[in-house]
Amino acid sequence: MGKLDRSHFIEAGVWSLFFIIFFIASFEFNQPIEIYKFGATGWPRTVLLLLLLVLFGNLIYAYYQGHAMQHGRVGIADDEAEKTSYDGGTFLRVVTALGVPFLYAISLKPVGFYAATPFFIAAIAFIFGERKLKNIILVTLSIYLIIMIIFMVILNAPLPQGNTSPFYDFSAFMLRMNTKWQQLELW
Amino acid sequence: MLENFFAGSAALFGDPFTIAIFVFGVIGGMLFGAIPGVSMLTLAAILLPFTSDLEPAQGVMLFAVIYCTGTYGGAITAILFNIPGAPENAPTAFDGYPMTKQGRAGKAVGAAVLCSAIGGISSALVMMAATEPLAKWAIRNIGPPEIFALVFFGLAVASSVGGRTIWKGWLSVLLGLMVATIGQDPVGGIERYNFGFADLAAGIAFVPAILGFFAVSEIFVQAEKKVTGKYDAPPVGMSFPTILELWRYKIAVLRSILVGFFCGILPGIGATLAAFMGYGEAVRWSKDKKSFGKGNLEGVISSETANNAATGAAMIPLLALGLPGGALTAMMVAVFQMHDLEPGPLVFYNSPDLIWIVFAAMFYANLSILIIGVMETKTIMYLLKVPFQFLAPMILLLASIGSYIGRGLVLDVVVMFVAGILGFLLRRSGYSIPGIVLGIILGKIGEQNFAQGMQMVHYDLVTYFSRPICSLLILAGVLTLGFSIYQAVQGIKQKSPAS
Repeated sequence: MGKLDRSHFIEAGVWSLFFIIFFIASFEFNQPIEIYKFGATGWPRTVLLLLLLVLFGNLIYAYYQGHAMQHGRVGIADDEAEKTSYDGGTFLRVVTALGVPFLYAISLKPVGFYAATPFFIAAIAFIFGERKLKNIILVTLSIYLIIMIIFMVILNAPLPQGNTSPFYDFSAFMLRMNTKWQQLELW
Repeated sequence: MLENFFAGSAALFGDPFTIAIFVFGVIGGMLFGAIPGVSMLTLAAILLPFTSDLEPAQGVMLFAVIYCTGTYGGAITAILFNIPGAPENAPTAFDGYPMTKQGRAGKAVGAAVLCSAIGGISSALVMMAATEPLAKWAIRNIGPPEIFALVFFGLAVASSVGGRTIWKGWLSVLLGLMVATIGQDPVGGIERYNFGFADLAAGIAFVPAILGFFAVSEIFVQAEKKVTGKYDAPPVGMSFPTILELWRYKIAVLRSILVGFFCGILPGIGATLAAFMGYGEAVRWSKDKKSFGKGNLEGVISSETANNAATGAAMIPLLALGLPGGALTAMMVAVFQMHDLEPGPLVFYNSPDLIWIVFAAMFYANLSILIIGVMETKTIMYLLKVPFQFLAPMILLLASIGSYIGRGLVLDVVVMFVAGILGFLLRRSGYSIPGIVLGIILGKIGEQNFAQGMQMVHYDLVTYFSRPICSLLILAGVLTLGFSIYQAVQGIKQKSPAS
């Protein structure tokens, strides 16, 4: 098998799955366009075909060279070539660091920005190494206040309000407070 | 020309309210460009409704000034945090951020200040002298086939920069092109790859994708280092580059001005491709190619000169043809329309005062980058001293708001974090993040112009390639591609380090 190892097969498997999903999904919009000969599928299918060819080239390269960097490549940052291996506990912490922001994004629709954000700030500060409760609370409040002043009070930016109680009620309360504040016409 | 320029300057500085708007635009553009997560587009979108209360010249001038200073401001976050303020600042991060990690942030930012100003001023001068003749030339010679050819060339360059192998470089670009197909097809408006999510019908916006792939993935990389105990806070280097140091890169600056200007005058292309191509050309002509991506000052210089050189040029299709080159110039069309004006050739005859106030304001805005830029930068660089565990939530929040505000979709925030996780994994596997991002940005433009070009020539490839600029650009792209493939074959033949 040359210099191919398990990671190469996983990589090829993921790309092949990507190809299959997108190719099959392309039949859902396989309709002719009267003014355009190649239709809506022409471009994506061409790109998919190229992807398959390049994937094949990638495998051939890996067969002969394994993970070695190609000679003459430019524009690659040092840390991109870094590989880190870690134990189970560390792995879990890395997954948590990646997962919490994603959970925050998903929670924005039901919970809303106003209610979810303080918990998010505190969680990130904790996961990224802050252990003093006083600091976490202080930083959470400071960042929340700055964000609210800039985006809610000054810019009146529309932010997600959530759609479940009691979070929606909390967002409504914050916006009512802002309206009252604006009516004071301090500036 | 000089007479008109002085008249424009007099009109600009003769009215205190116009001066106030100019100063607001300069500082606002720089600040919004330099705050991680938000951008000049955020400021422009917020200000758009208020421009109806301004004079037409004041409204258009405000947006033109924000465009100049915001394009520069985005370089600061790209250099300090690996967060490009706008797509056109993405290549600045390739070498700017490694310089920050080496404690050379001051040099990178200083070069960005100077080169943004040089690029912008040169572009403004050429714009003043050549808008009308260039517009006439562009009408005759530039069409969809040429724009597609330029996109092809740009993607060929992007695939050869970044990525541990040419194959991974191309896989990255193709992934970006596939992501760009999500949404509606640009010819018939048929929905593609929405996978049952109604929000995906609007496609993947490039702002969340860029924030995810650059900013969020960088935060994740640093978080991983924190967790594994490998994190080192970047040293804060305040030393600016000397004039002598920058003089060494005069050829790179000149080349990037030309590249930036050429890309800028093409409608729909603008400063983004200019920056990528400016960077790509710097790599191509450099004797020390391997140092790119590892903190080469020439990378910062080329990218920042090219994107600012494109700002003046981007006004040419806007003012002369009424065609916006990007999101901000599209908002400028809206400003024109709010005042019952239509940008186009007639503007030069109907509203010459407006044109010359805008030209003069852009010239002075680029000049003020030099003065205000240095002062502002020194303040912002102290952000590097904030502990990472406090800086990270702030950046992630600003990025989330920046993603959400554009279209008001929570999906965009989810897309940003998914892009962040993907970027984190792909960077570890040696893929090219800039390649993916450029694929996303240029995918739709490329497809649209390919389709229009094919319709124009009735699917006759001979007619297509008989257009000289088109065939020249395609040839340049094919040569770049051919050289990459040659390198790839050599790569397969090369003796592996293990053997």
